[in-house]
Amino acid sequence: MKDLHIVQLYINEMNTYGDRGNLLILSKRMRLHGYNPIIHYHHVGAHLPAKIDIILGGGGQDAAQIEIEQDMQRLQKQLHSLSDHSIPMLMVCGTYQLFGTRFTTSSGNIMKGIGIFDAETIGTGNRHIGNIAIKTTDYGILYGFENHSGRTILGTHQAPLGIVARGNGNNGQDKTEGARTNNVFGTYMHGPVLSYNPIFCDNLIKLAAENAYGVFIPREIDDSLSVLSRQAAKVRAY
Amino acid sequence: MQKFIGTHVGKLVQRAVRIGSGGGQALPGLIVEKLFPGYFAAMLNKLPEGVIIITGTNGKTTTTKMVVELLRSQNKKVITNPTGSNLTRGIISSLIEQADHKGRLPFDMAVFEVDEAYAKQFVQQVRPRWVLALNVSRDQLDRFGEVDAIAELVRTTMCAAVEGVVTNANDPRLSVIGRDISKGENDVKVEYFGVHKSLRKYFPTDNEIVAIDTKHEILPAEPELPSVLLQSFKNQTAVYSINGKLYPTTLQVTGQHNFQNAAAAIALACHLLPTASTKVLVERLSTVGIAFGRGQIFKLRDKSSLQLVLVKNPASFNQTLASYLTNSPSVMVAINDDYADSRDVSWLWDVDFTTMTATSIEITSGSRATDMALRLHYDNIEVKTIEPNLNRAITAFCKLPGNKLVIATYTAMLHLHAKLEKDAGKIL
Repeated sequence: MKDLHIVQLYINEMNTYGDRGNLLILSKRMRLHGYNPIIHYHHVGAHLPAKIDIILGGGGQDAAQIEIEQDMQRLQKQLHSLSDHSIPMLMVCGTYQLFGTRFTTSSGNIMKGIGIFDAETIGTGNRHIGNIAIKTTDYGILYGFENHSGRTILGTHQAPLGIVARGNGNNGQDKTEGARTNNVFGTYMHGPVLSYNPIFCDNLIKLAAENAYGVFIPREIDDSLSVLSRQAAKVRAY
Repeated sequence: MQKFIGTHVGKLVQRAVRIGSGGGQALPGLIVEKLFPGYFAAMLNKLPEGVIIITGTNGKTTTTKMVVELLRSQNKKVITNPTGSNLTRGIISSLIEQADHKGRLPFDMAVFEVDEAYAKQFVQQVRPRWVLALNVSRDQLDRFGEVDAIAELVRTTMCAAVEGVVTNANDPRLSVIGRDISKGENDVKVEYFGVHKSLRKYFPTDNEIVAIDTKHEILPAEPELPSVLLQSFKNQTAVYSINGKLYPTTLQVTGQHNFQNAAAAIALACHLLPTASTKVLVERLSTVGIAFGRGQIFKLRDKSSLQLVLVKNPASFNQTLASYLTNSPSVMVAINDDYADSRDVSWLWDVDFTTMTATSIEITSGSRATDMALRLHYDNIEVKTIEPNLNRAITAFCKLPGNKLVIATYTAMLHLHAKLEKDAGKIL
């Protein structure tokens, strides 16, 4: 069986609300598609593994973001290079913010981001909380749950992940949600996001497998429960 | 004066409400709160033995019940929360109801279960004599915020205690707060309850719940010496080590987390009842029954039993899986997503189902029945039926033979509790 190496960033600091679910879903679906997932947990101060096929990051509290900020700065060059080599990454909430250029917390702390996304976030005292749905060009409608006090503004040339159909997304103003640069995806969507959106998940696996082995041949997976959960998500109020 | 007038206005509204629709229990509280904003504090500050607050993420209801029953067993007159209400209005309504016609409360002390967010407001109005802080773990993010923020709310409450605080020696955040208070200038007693080292694995801290690689676990730098320690437990018998002596007792409350809660209750009760015998208090715990929807057992028509357990967050769900599956019951899981349940169900993915001995779940129900089934599917646990409608689900579930367990979030538990109270042993 072909191996796929998953790096989960800062699982102890950045795992506020079910982010481990994305890792579980991704690795399980890799197995169902005939790959052998190998999970590496990256902790502050450690080296990234030699072989990386995909990177995941979750949400975290302001205090946890401060703990990882320095470490991310240390990895900045390496992460940019992996992004330039089309390695897929999924960054949710807190790590999404630090993949932007700068994050100013509601208490006025300024954290430097690693700038893979041209996106700046400002913390507020007011959380956007609710069931969100966004339209994407490549994966149809994505469903999730947003819960964040940061407002993220994308730079003029920064592509969003999608356009908000229900909810607030990046800032509640311009209808954008998340960001995409190369194969790096940032989003505010919990849920976890991969649970409601198996097509999006399989696309991450496809990108990882094509990079590693040149080709991805998907297998048929019984997604009847995902279909049902999407039907329920479709009619849910914000 | 406002105690007198407030009580009478409140009692009039109560009478009017009763003549009217019957519901609206919080209405007298609401009206009195608006007309006499100082009523709450004025009434409670008159209690000769003060106000005790019990707060924390999990175990408030059962622990409050234990403390109240221990106090009453020693002839203390205690006022406590009305069922299912830990907000000011509910408490005011019950003060009005219990006050005599001179506007006085015929009680020695009050023991209130107060949630973390509300406790902070509560202590601004009424300084508690003692505060018991049970634990802090990731809870409903959409209501309480992140776990460090919850700990800060609890800190404010603990710091408001006039005489003393009791807290959890094994909780990394709370034990730090306890230590800070002991170092402070105010002469406030700090007592700890805890579990023996060999039992620590049954009571993971919040950090341990989600950590995959525990080498980064945050432990208290110098574990505090608890005055009451859960030494060991087997089936329903728990042994407590109190100031170096061992005291066994057989409990009615189920679930290992409640054995830990009992340690907290004894630690607090020993301070509130300084002349009572420790042995008598520990033995008295054996008569404390199970609290509303926290492992309550219903007898069904076919003589089989059904146990109803509330889950609110990963910690309580994990404890439920560890405690209530030993007799291999059929299992129903009911997940709602109202405000009181947590609107975001992402937390279900932090529950560790890999420890579950059962390989299938009979029914998932509630507004998030499908999401629950999908969650279990990713851990290879088969769900036989998905039925979002709670009444239909419980009716079908009760037809199964043998022991049954229903795991439910707050509003699902309330709904199923009402249905079971009405129909268990009759229709069901």
